[in-house]
Amino acid sequence: MIEFYGVSKEYHRRRVLKNLSFQIAQGEFVFLTGPSGAGKTTVLKLLYRAETPGAGQILVNGRNVVAMPASRIPELRRTMGIVFQDYKLLPTRTVFENVSFVLKFLGVSLAERRRRAYQVLRLVELHHRVNAFPEELSGGEQQRVALARALVNEPELLVADEPTGNLDHRLAQEMMRLFSQINVRGTTVLVATHDVALIRETGRRCLTLDRGGILEGLVEAALPPQAAWRREGSSAHPVVPEERP
Amino acid sequence: MRRGAALVSLLDEALAGLWRARRMTVVSVLQIAFSLFLVGIFLLAAENLGGVVDALREETAVTVFLRPGTDEAAQADLERRALDSKLVAAVRRVTPEEARRRFARSFSSLASATGTLSANPFPTSVELDLLPGAASSAALRPFLANLTAFPSVEEVQFDVDWVRRLRGVVRLVAVTGAATGFCLALGAAFTIANVVRLTILLHRDEIDILRLVGAPEMLIRGPFLLGGVLQGLLGGLFALGLLGLAFRGVLLFIATTENVLLGVFLVRFLSPTTCGLLVLGGVLAGLFGGTIASRRRHV
Repeated sequence: MIEFYGVSKEYHRRRVLKNLSFQIAQGEFVFLTGPSGAGKTTVLKLLYRAETPGAGQILVNGRNVVAMPASRIPELRRTMGIVFQDYKLLPTRTVFENVSFVLKFLGVSLAERRRRAYQVLRLVELHHRVNAFPEELSGGEQQRVALARALVNEPELLVADEPTGNLDHRLAQEMMRLFSQINVRGTTVLVATHDVALIRETGRRCLTLDRGGILEGLVEAALPPQAAWRREGSSAHPVVPEERP
Repeated sequence: MRRGAALVSLLDEALAGLWRARRMTVVSVLQIAFSLFLVGIFLLAAENLGGVVDALREETAVTVFLRPGTDEAAQADLERRALDSKLVAAVRRVTPEEARRRFARSFSSLASATGTLSANPFPTSVELDLLPGAASSAALRPFLANLTAFPSVEEVQFDVDWVRRLRGVVRLVAVTGAATGFCLALGAAFTIANVVRLTILLHRDEIDILRLVGAPEMLIRGPFLLGGVLQGLLGGLFALGLLGLAFRGVLLFIATTENVLLGVFLVRFLSPTTCGLLVLGGVLAGLFGGTIASRRRHV
């Protein structure tokens, strides 16, 4: 599903990713973790071609993302659902409009948009807030609207950037439960987070970014002891890759 | 079906965008309406003057003055040749007596003067009514030259030069109108471009998100382009409405005024084709403005 081969990326001569290689199979649920500035968001951006790497190849569903012409990028992105760290909800639009406006542009009829929006909003338990505006919602609710929007086009791959960053632990667990449900339905899920405790609780495969490279498997054991974010977890629990659902 | 629904969505988004920036939208629609209104006035003047010129030209008869003593056979031959030319609809013989009566009718104050003359000074003449379109036919000049060459013909009177000069004035009015209108419409197009650009700025977040979730580029920029076209269309229709009102107002004024000359010069509204072209001009100005504003580097 996702293949990175020797990917490097620099920002203003500062190397963020260095010869990064990893693979994620279809239907997997994988965490991408690491300290702030490790390049988690960059990896995700490279995945949906918001950024291009300095070197290396990236394949998504067998398609070379790096060599892809600009005209094909929208098609690539439509196969993905993206949950942004800052939600990126439209403040002047209702929950229903936020969730369904992409479908509107894809020519889906109003009845079908309503049906699909209701389904995903029910999944995230916000079907009773369809007419609310983002500012009327709590942070957790906004996060769930962002998730609903990512899911409404039935993506093959769900990519989430720090989806629990603004949530308390209980809501974060709730969000992880939702991701697991979505994953059970066959959607590949890639979640970038620095919440080590949450990764441990969820018990899924974890890729750890550190110093531009990737460490597979253990969430804490392989990390440098001085990493500040490491202290969030109380003990080093191995996180092993799971079988596909 | 999906494409149709997508187009409806584009239109819906375009209208919503115009509504959000409604003040600027109104300004640009008014500006384009004003520009096209001015163009319309020029066209209205040109079309009506052109109509008058055509009518005058069509109504002008060729008058052939015959030499004194021309016999009946020569007159009949002249009339037959005129009718055979396929330029003449009818011939009318005017005797010296008939000519004198006409003069007396037209110039009543001078009527008594003709009675004091020992002989009738008016020659016999033949009036040729031209067929529709004959006045502008290329065959007319050779035909007139042939008539002049007749031994019995003293003079052929058909002065089309003043009609040509008048037509030149009409053309000048039309060209001036088109040039002024083009400049004004260009200004309006740039206003539309600014309105569309403002709408784009207002929708910056939406555009970013749409792009990130994979909306096709045409569907991202489409509403803005369509917004420009809609503004142009509204401006064109508004201009047409204003022109209609102005025309009715002038007609009312003419009906109450004693100046009959005005009634001769303003008799008809723009033709449906010209109306269509005027609205199309608005649409094109809007399309131009929308295209400038929604170029890739702006959106």
